[in-house]
Order: sequence, then structure tokens, then C-alpha cells
Amino acid sequence: MAENLELMQGTLDLIVLKALVWGPRHGYAVARWVGETTDEDLQIEEGALYTALHRMETRGWLEAEWGLSEHNRKAKFYQLTPVGRRQLRASTARWTRYAQAVFKVIQTA
Amino acid sequence: MPRFEGLRRFFRLDRAADVERAVGDELDFHFDSRVRELVERGMSPAEARQEAERRFGDLERTRARLEAIDRERVGERSRAEWWGGFTQDLRYALRGLRLKPGFTLGVVLTLALGIGANATMFGIVDRLLLRGPAYMNDPARVHRVNLIRTLQGEERPGTNTSYRTYLDLLGSTTSFDNLAAFFLPKLPVGTGEEAREMTLEVVTGNFWQLYDARPVIGRFFGPDEDQLPTGTPVAVLSYGYWHSRYGAHSDVLGQRMRIGTRDFTIIGVAPRGFNGAGLEQPIAFLPLTAGAVEMGGPPDLGTTYSWRWLEIFARRKPGVSVAAATADLTQAYLRSYASQAEQQSGLTPAGITHPHALAAPVLRDRGPRQGDDSKVATWLIGVAAIVLIIACANVGNLLLARAFGRRREIAVRLALGISRGRLLTQLLTESLLLAAVGGALGVVVAQWGGNVLRAMLLPDMEWTGALADPRVLLFAALATLVAGLLTGLAPALHAGRSDVAAALKTGVREGTYHRSFTRTALLVIQGALSVVLLVGAGLFVRSLHNVKTMPLGYDRTRVLYVNLDMRGESLSTAEQALLRDRLLERARSTPGVEHAARNMTVPFWMTMNQPLFVAGIDSMSRLGSFDLQAVSPGYFETMGTRILRGRPITPEDRAGAHVMVVSQSMARVTWPGKEALGQCVKVGADTMPCNTVVGIAEDIHAASLKDDPGLTYYLAMAQWRPHRGGLFVRARGDATQLVETVRSQLQGLMPGASYVTVTPLTEVLEPEMRSFELGAMMFTIFGVLALVVAAIGLYSVVAYSVAQRTHELGVRVALGAQTPDLIGLVVGEALRLAAIAAAIGTVGALVAGRWVAPLLFNTSPKDPWILGGVALGLLGIAAAASLAPALRAARVDPNVALRAD
Repeated sequence: MAENLELMQGTLDLIVLKALVWGPRHGYAVARWVGETTDEDLQIEEGALYTALHRMETRGWLEAEWGLSEHNRKAKFYQLTPVGRRQLRASTARWTRYAQAVFKVIQTA
Repeated sequence: MPRFEGLRRFFRLDRAADVERAVGDELDFHFDSRVRELVERGMSPAEARQEAERRFGDLERTRARLEAIDRERVGERSRAEWWGGFTQDLRYALRGLRLKPGFTLGVVLTLALGIGANATMFGIVDRLLLRGPAYMNDPARVHRVNLIRTLQGEERPGTNTSYRTYLDLLGSTTSFDNLAAFFLPKLPVGTGEEAREMTLEVVTGNFWQLYDARPVIGRFFGPDEDQLPTGTPVAVLSYGYWHSRYGAHSDVLGQRMRIGTRDFTIIGVAPRGFNGAGLEQPIAFLPLTAGAVEMGGPPDLGTTYSWRWLEIFARRKPGVSVAAATADLTQAYLRSYASQAEQQSGLTPAGITHPHALAAPVLRDRGPRQGDDSKVATWLIGVAAIVLIIACANVGNLLLARAFGRRREIAVRLALGISRGRLLTQLLTESLLLAAVGGALGVVVAQWGGNVLRAMLLPDMEWTGALADPRVLLFAALATLVAGLLTGLAPALHAGRSDVAAALKTGVREGTYHRSFTRTALLVIQGALSVVLLVGAGLFVRSLHNVKTMPLGYDRTRVLYVNLDMRGESLSTAEQALLRDRLLERARSTPGVEHAARNMTVPFWMTMNQPLFVAGIDSMSRLGSFDLQAVSPGYFETMGTRILRGRPITPEDRAGAHVMVVSQSMARVTWPGKEALGQCVKVGADTMPCNTVVGIAEDIHAASLKDDPGLTYYLAMAQWRPHRGGLFVRARGDATQLVETVRSQLQGLMPGASYVTVTPLTEVLEPEMRSFELGAMMFTIFGVLALVVAAIGLYSVVAYSVAQRTHELGVRVALGAQTPDLIGLVVGEALRLAAIAAAIGTVGALVAGRWVAPLLFNTSPKDPWILGGVALGLLGIAAAASLAPALRAARVDPNVALRAD
């Protein structure tokens, strides 16, 4: 396994927003998706994911609603708001630009 | 339970618990799901749990953070929600009120009058009874010293005493860390044409230590500038006078101002709002001993007991109880009284007068000498509260009527899902909005009303209007809040009860006419309270009438009093006597003057007492207090006092035998069952020659209107002090018209800086009338106000009921009811309500009358004419208020009424 990468706050938010782009998900689903997608390369504590979810709910990027899980349990589902969607687009663009710039620097070496 | 739940939600009692539960549920779900997945992959449950926790990180810290984040969000949202709801309610209420301007105006005016009346009365009572003197340091420890003696079997509290008594108390009490004396004389200030009589305050050098006041500029004076015999002529200006007279310039320090006969050097300015001892702001403060000289005090000021003037403030040492302080003062007063008895041989012995002292509250009206006007003012605050209750009842009633009218609207809104809590806040918002507008207007009413009342009740009181008085504003705000809640109560309760289905099902016609018990009760309460107030008004009006028409033993409307102020012009006794003779002559020749005569004392302003000696009577002072009056010939014609037997004082009563005229009561008390004419009375000392009683005059009231007339005797001026006293002048008509003429005529004779002041006797008596005038005016205003409000309330209820009963009335007409039947039906209902209200109100008035009786004048609180008149009046008003709706009822056309709906 590759060495763990440090994660910046904005990046965590971006990842969580991305996890919700296909529709409402509860916190566990978000955690699983993040773990699977990154092959556990980004060592993210799941507690931090929940903190990000709740913080973004407060900011109005996400909307939460209680519903039933696939196993018929009460679960809290998160969903992007229009503001959250805009935020996701803006963060993605910024991250891409940033990564490309850094990549260019590394390539020229 | 749903309503309870709603209430809990309304007050957000469960917000914290909700958040914790939600976070817990979410995390439990996470762990359960993770463990289930890991177990499915083959882990043991314990291992799975451990792995899940490892992946999660610090569980408890995260839980705490999540809860904190959520709490903040929930709080913020509910605040925003509340604010949004509030602004929506406000907009909704505003729109509703704008659509009904007549209703809004009526409600706002009613509340404004109610709140304004309360704020006005609070402002006055606050000054008189609640608020200590400005700047006073710990006013609870400062006392106004009362010296109480028993005269003619009655305790007479007094606060005015001699400088000598003050020195005695200062020297022999131990409970006080400060004992300061003061007095507020009127003295001539300025020179030449600018000279005016103004109020000053003379205070002892230690007076300032009672206060936390610092001079704005300069300094205060100290005990070393307040020394016998004549003090140092220095003055501390009041802030107000410094502004109005000197334009607040700091170069006043060192300037001189003429006060009385001396130039006083200005050494400082008192801070803003500093009024010294009382409610009135003097123009300046002077050392007591220096001021006493200008007031014409005796040369032996420090030793004589005979000049009683100043008042004393005493501050208890910390830890000394009020009772101990009173006991200490009484001991000191007893010693002082004994020493006074040595000086004054005629002083009633302590065994009879039981002298004792009382450390009373610093505010005069909180002590035993509470003025009648302050008692009336205290009553009036209760009256004002009643007016506010009536106003609230009426507004509540109007709002309730509106709520009935909006039954279907409310039902629709409830059906559409608005919560009852929101509906409740909406109704309360409306009533609070109305109250707020009414309260704002009420403060304006208080500002105006305060000025009017102050002019009547406390003409000398230093005053800031309601708008500038934070305590009054706060009070008005509280009254507004209470009014808003009270008026919103009835409609809110009604809305809380309303049954959606029933309201939606019924048409306009059926079922909507419920005689509302609440509305009827509110109406009856209003009527009953109006009756109480109107009975009060009747009692005070009658008292005022009785006071004004009461025979005093002299004419009050036709007599002027002329006072001479010599202002340091030193004339010999012969010149003084001559001046007065010339003034008398000039007064008599002035057009419009019928008679004039000289006098020594003035009823209600000053009395003079001398020890009297009559053969066969041990102590005249045991029989009572005898007031001396010295008069010139023509006095009795001038005053309008009748001589009952014998003769008046004549021009012949000069050189020869000394004579005396006594009042009827004095004759009866001194020589019961015997002939008074020809008796011998010695005045001043046993060794003086006889004054033979030559006439008996009718009794006069010279000290109190309420008590029996005093005991008065008249000496011939020529045989007593021909060089002292002033003049009474009798006008042919209304004396007040003649004031300026007489003054300018007489002033021409006055030498140098000396001058005369001319005062109608009506003005002298004015303070005695004030409490009755105040009571009569305010009870009448409030009573009529209450009645008008109640009448409007009755009208609206009856009109409403007629409108609701159109159908029923139509049926009656169709069945053959005649116009008089219909009118009788409607008016009868109103009269029944009025009769109940009158009965309750009369009982209330009888109960309250027991307490108000001491403030009345020769008027029984059970006066049947007043009680009956008011009750009849209420019935009349009820009939009048219901007549218009009754006529409308009589015009009901059965064809229209029965086809409607």
C-alpha cells in the first residue's frame, strides 16, 4: 500500500460532495464509497467524514432527511443542495487547475 | 397531549435532547452497518467492532463535535424561523389594521389614554413617594426628623423647628453620623427694577455630606462658613439658575449677587438635577446662618426656641436600627424640650404634650406628614390602573368581536395546516402591535398630562417631562406589554378553542350567534368599574363644592393681603407706624376698594401665639391653642367677619384701656356658661395690664378647613405693635382684578428698596383646595373616560348581537312582533347588563369608600344621591348606547332577513 497522503480540509469537503453527486446517501454509504474509490490510499478517519457532512449541512451545501436504509433501518440521508452542487463544480475546477499546475512543475524537472 | 407537545416545541425545551438523539442514531447506524459487513466477510463480531472503531477514529470527540455543530445549526434555524414568522405576523397584523382604520384608531386611542394616564400618575407618585432626593447617598439611612407633640388630645407631628432645637439634637444624639438642617425661603434677589422674590435653600455647612454631589465648578461651603451670628455671605448656584441667569459661564465664580440686604459671593455651582432636600430646585444654596439674617431671623438665633422654621435630615450610623435612632432622637428632644420650658414660661408642660421624635423616611410624603394631595395622587394611580383595565377589557372585547367575525377565516387557516401556536403568536402580535402604538401615543399623553397636573398639584416641583424620564418610559413600556398581553388573551383563548369543523360547516346565519360569556363578563366589569370611578368623581366634586362654599368666617373672594418687605430699609418704629398709616389711607382712596385695615397674621400662612392669663384658670394652654390677631379699626368690615355681640375694635382703642375681641369658640371654651364680655385677659405675662373683652366675633378657620375653627382673639393694633404687620384690602368686586392697581398705588409710598407684595386670599387658600381639586378633576376625567369607553363597548356588543340576530328578529316580525317589542327586546338586554354592572359597581364603591372617606370634605362616601345618580346614569347611557342598534332591529324587513343566506 502506498504511503498515506495528508488531506487538506477543502479536499475532504470536495470528496464528500463528490460522493453525493449520484443522489442521496447516508453517512455509511459515503464512507464506504470513499474507501472503495480511493482503495484506502487516502487514510481518512470516518469520524472526519461525518464532521464534514454535518458542517456542510450547517453551511447549507447539503440537506439531510431521515429515511430507511436498504436493511430497513432508520438512517440519515444527505443530498446536495443547489448551493452544494455549485460548490462541487467550483472546487473541482479549482482542484484540477491546482493539480495540473503542480504536475507541470514536476514534469519539467 | 398534542397541545402540550406544541407548547414544548414552542418553547424549544427539547432541542438539546433532539440533537443528541439524532447524532446517536446516525452513529449507531454507521457502526451497525460496518460491523454487519465485516462479519459477513468472516470477522468475529468483536473483531469487527474493533476494526470499525479503528477506522472511525476518536468516537467520543467526533460525537461531541457533531452535536456542537448540529446545536448551532438548529439554534440558528429556529431563530431565523422565529424572526421570519415574527416579521410575517407583523406584516399580517399591519395589513389587517390598515384595512380597518376606524377600529385601529379606536383601539389605539383607548390604549393611549389608559397607558398615558398610568404613566402620568406614576411619574407623580414616583416623585412624591418612591424616588429619593437626587444625588443623596444611601437615602434609606437618611431620615426626616419629626418632632411630635400632643395638643388637645391629638398628636401633632411637625418637622419645622428652631435652630436652637437643631443645635440641641446635634449635641446630644449619638446614633447619627450627620445631622443637617435646611429651609427653603423666598428672598428678594437682585437690585433695583431687577429685584425679584426667588426660592433659595439655606443649609447647614455639613448638608453637602448627605450627598454624593460634586460642584460643577468651584466648591461648596463648609461648617466654618456657617457660623453664628451672621454666617459668611457666600452662595452656591443651582445648575438651572446658573444656566438661565448666567448662561453657564464659568466666570461667575467670585461674582456677587444681592440677596436680601447683603451681597453674596458665588463660590460654586451645584451639579445638574441637584435639588437639595426637596422636589423643588432653588436658585442658590446659602449657609443657614447667613440666610437666617436675610429672612429676618432673631439676633439670638443660636439660643432662642421661639423661631420655628428649619427642617432636619439625619443620617443613621451604619448598624443603628431605625427604632434605636428614634429613641435616641426622642431622648435628645426631651432634654431640649425641658430647656425650652425654662426659656418659655407659657410652654405647655411635657407631661401634657408628650414630646417625642420620629426618624421618618426622607421623603415628606412617606412620613407622618403626608400631604392630602399625595394621598389623593396615590389613590389616583389605582384609579389610573382601573382605567387601563377598562381600556384593556374594551379592546379585548373589540378584538374578540373581530375574532368572532374571523371564525371562518381562522378555521380555514387551521384546516390549511397553520399550527395553533403560530395562530396564537399571530393574534398576540396583533394585540402587542396595537398596544405598542397605543403606548407610544400614551407617553405623549403623559408628557402633556404631566405638565397639566404638575401645574395644578405641584407648582414648585422640579420636573422633567415623561419623554425625558427613563423611569416613566420604562413604566410605560411595562404597562404597554401588560396591556398587549391582556388584550390578546381573550381572542387568543377563543382561537385556541375554536372547532374547525363546526366553524366551516355553519353558514353566516346559524350557530354564529352565541352570546359570548367572556364578552358579557368583560362588559359588566367595565360598567362596574366605571361606576366606582364615577362615584369617586361625585364624592370629590361634592367635597370640592363643600370646601368652596364652606363659611370660613371671612370672605375669601374679595380680600387682598398686602405684605411689606422692608429689605433692610431701617426705619424707626415711629416711621414704621407712620408708613403703615399712610399705606392704609392710600389703599382706602384707591378706586375699587371698599375697605382696608391692618393686620398682624394671615389665615393659613402664619399664626402668632402668646401666653394668656385669665383669673381662675391655671393654664390657658391646657384649653387649647389661642391665635393672636392684631387689627386696626375697620378690620371686621374688611374681612367680612361678623361681630356677634359687643363691639369691634374702634379708633378710640388707642391710649386708654386695653381691649380685646374674642371668637365665639374662645369665649365658650374660656368662660363656659358665663358672660365673656367684660372679662380680663392678660397677654404675654401675668404682670401685663388687663385686656377687657369688648366684643365676640364669629369663628374663623385660619389653620385647617377640616378641623373645628380655631380659638382666635383680636387686639387693637394701636395697643399692640403699631409698627408691624401688613394690610387687608377689600375690593368691591372680584379681588383678583384689583391686585396690580393696589400694588402700584402702594408701592409708590415704599421707601428705598422696600416693596409690597399683594396676594388675593383665594391664592392663600389654594393649597388647601388642591387635593379636592385634584381628586375632583382626575376622578371626573378618568370616570367620564371609563364611561365613554364602556358605552362604546356596550354599543358594539349590542350592535353586533343585533346584526347576528337579524334572522331571529325577522322571524319575530313575521310572527307579528311590533316595533316597540323589538326595541324593548334589544334595549332590555342592554339594561339588564347595565343593572348588573351598576349593582356590582355600587358594592365596589361602598367598599372602597371606607378608605377614601378621610380625603373627602363633609361628604359621606355612602351619599345616596351620588350612588343613585351614578347608577341611573349608567342605565341611561346603556339605553342610549343600545337605542341605535334597537332602531336598526326594528327596521328589520322579514322578507330580506329570512331570504338571506
